[in-house]
Amino acid sequence: MTTESITMAGNKQTEEISREVMRIQAGVLAMVCAVLGGLLLFTMTVWLLLKDGPGAGPHLSLLGNYFIGYSVSWFGSILGLVYGALTGGIVGWVVGSIYNLVVGFRK
Amino acid sequence: MSSGALVIGAGPAGLTSAYELAKLGISSTIIEADEQVGGLSRTVSYKGYRFDIGGHRFFSKVPLINELWREMLSEDFLLRPRLSRIHYRGHFFDYPLKAANALAGLGPIEAFLVMLSYSKAKMFPSAEETNLEQWVSNRFGQRLYEIFFKTYTEKVWGIPCNEISADWAAQRIKNLSLKEAIRNALLGAGKSAEGEVITTLIEQFHYPRLGPGMMWDCCKDLLAEKGNETVHGIKVDKIRHRKGRVESVVGHRSNGERVEFDADHFISSMPLRRLIQSLDPLPPDEVLAAANSLRYRDYLTVVLMAKREDVFPDNWIYIHSPEVKMGRIQNYKNWSPEMVPDQSRSSLGLEYFLWQQDEEWTWSNDRLIDLGIKECAQIGLVEPDEIEDGTVVRMKKAYPVYDHNYNDRVDIIRNYLETLPNLQTIGRNGLHRYNNQDHSMLTGVYAARNVVGEKNDVWAVNTEQDYHEEVRSSETEKSSTGYTKTMGDRAVPMPIVQDEADQIIQTAFARLDGVALGVALGVVIGVGLFLATMILLLKGGEFVGPRLGLLRNFLPGYEVTWGGSLIGLAEGSLLGFGLGFFIASLRNWGMMAYAYLLRRRAETEAAKNVLD
Repeated sequence: MTTESITMAGNKQTEEISREVMRIQAGVLAMVCAVLGGLLLFTMTVWLLLKDGPGAGPHLSLLGNYFIGYSVSWFGSILGLVYGALTGGIVGWVVGSIYNLVVGFRK
Repeated sequence: MSSGALVIGAGPAGLTSAYELAKLGISSTIIEADEQVGGLSRTVSYKGYRFDIGGHRFFSKVPLINELWREMLSEDFLLRPRLSRIHYRGHFFDYPLKAANALAGLGPIEAFLVMLSYSKAKMFPSAEETNLEQWVSNRFGQRLYEIFFKTYTEKVWGIPCNEISADWAAQRIKNLSLKEAIRNALLGAGKSAEGEVITTLIEQFHYPRLGPGMMWDCCKDLLAEKGNETVHGIKVDKIRHRKGRVESVVGHRSNGERVEFDADHFISSMPLRRLIQSLDPLPPDEVLAAANSLRYRDYLTVVLMAKREDVFPDNWIYIHSPEVKMGRIQNYKNWSPEMVPDQSRSSLGLEYFLWQQDEEWTWSNDRLIDLGIKECAQIGLVEPDEIEDGTVVRMKKAYPVYDHNYNDRVDIIRNYLETLPNLQTIGRNGLHRYNNQDHSMLTGVYAARNVVGEKNDVWAVNTEQDYHEEVRSSETEKSSTGYTKTMGDRAVPMPIVQDEADQIIQTAFARLDGVALGVALGVVIGVGLFLATMILLLKGGEFVGPRLGLLRNFLPGYEVTWGGSLIGLAEGSLLGFGLGFFIASLRNWGMMAYAYLLRRRAETEAAKNVLD
């Protein structure tokens, strides 16, 4: 079965209830991803610090390659919160925007 | 403009049709074989006692019909509590069925077996649902079906349940639309689209003070005031047609006098079989054969007058017990106190469902009354010496029979009748459909409006839920004729006015576009991996990205090199697309599964009322 035919079968089913195609509010998705991303990196960093103490998390520290100044430390956890939120926000906004763009194009 | 219409049959459908025609400014003549109007909804009088042919609750989900009832009968409606139970082997069970009550009444062993049977039906349902037995067994289990559905249904229809089309049940349950099921879940099952509480109207119902016949007598009078005559005692012999148009109806009075009625439009509620047989010239053999094979169940009521103030509290009781022939028993006083002349007395209507070929059909009234007295005593309702009088009312063709092939045969007839555009058929027997009074009335309204150019499909009433149950009141939408516009083209359901709840459902259940989400995640993951690789390469070092390079375990050919970044871009994009498409599909299927679950629950609830 091709992607198109799968999509059409799915459409027929859902059309019985709703003929609308969902739009994503990119700003809202960005906000949600920002909160999730920031909290995730913050929590992961703090968890490793509490579990193993200073010098913990050599692999997570590799994120320092992308997030300047980030390391598995108390200061790093705050930076991680900011970087995670920033990255999550960008990813959420990009996903939402591209999704809406494609939906508009396909319509 | 038409010079007039002829309506055959003065039952709810025929009279409503004439009433609507009068509103539209078209005069009509109504011909009726009986001396009384109301058809199956008439009220018979006997020594001051009044009784129905069956029982007729005035409860409708069609606002238009509720309005008509009020319009015709004004304040003569009573609001009555509904109580009906099932009698089976000496026990009374709540109806609509309640699981705890049913299991308690059956005793522990039978209850256990019922539960086993129910579990089996849920785990291994019959793949086919073509007959009533399969339809009910799939929902309640074989054992409950045999106790609560089989005996009564076979009494009513006179044929085994496995020969009755599942349409019978499906029509009365009317597969809920997914949206309707969700709306019920959102708003609560008891609320209609307008949010009005209808549950209470199922537990209570309106009933004319002097029985349903009061309404039809009143309707006849209203029609007469506007110059529309109802001619009684006319038996139709021929329906003459030429060049695709019906020209006249020929009949005879009870004294044999021949009468002929001309009109521009003909609306018939006479049984479909008889209608086809009356056509002159006769239709093709195939159509005639289809009509001849339609079957009807006949019905008689033995009415017993008892010297007792209260016999039982129910409006009616379904008699499932196989040891007696009666199928249902009505207590007319509980429908309206004015159905008996003396409040120290009660009148009971014992209903027998028969074929005219059955021996009992030809029994004398006295013999039938004796049978009724004996059976009443047998199931412990009333003692023989408490009965002081009785009478019998016979009603031919009370129920159109839904056997396996009825639908195909009705289709043949319907297709043929479409060649006679000025002849429309309406009502229970006119459409060979087990309509209640409200649905029959609705077909009458639609037929009348078709006369002025609307294109309503009367055959769709009571088959397509949205077609009638969403028909708004006459205040909501006006057609070019100035009357309620109910729908557009033939067989196209009326567009439903979208309310707030609908809008919420539309938005909440909107489809997530799999391709769009796939593209979005594909871009993010592909570009993300490309950038991650490039950043490490630009930073450089002795060993560049040894850990990121481990992704080659999942992305063949990927490595932290300039070429690998492009492979990462391509494979990451593909992976992202697949992931996005999968997430969207999963979400859409999840929502559908939830909707189906809600509908299944709602149908099971509705199926508990299937005997009505």
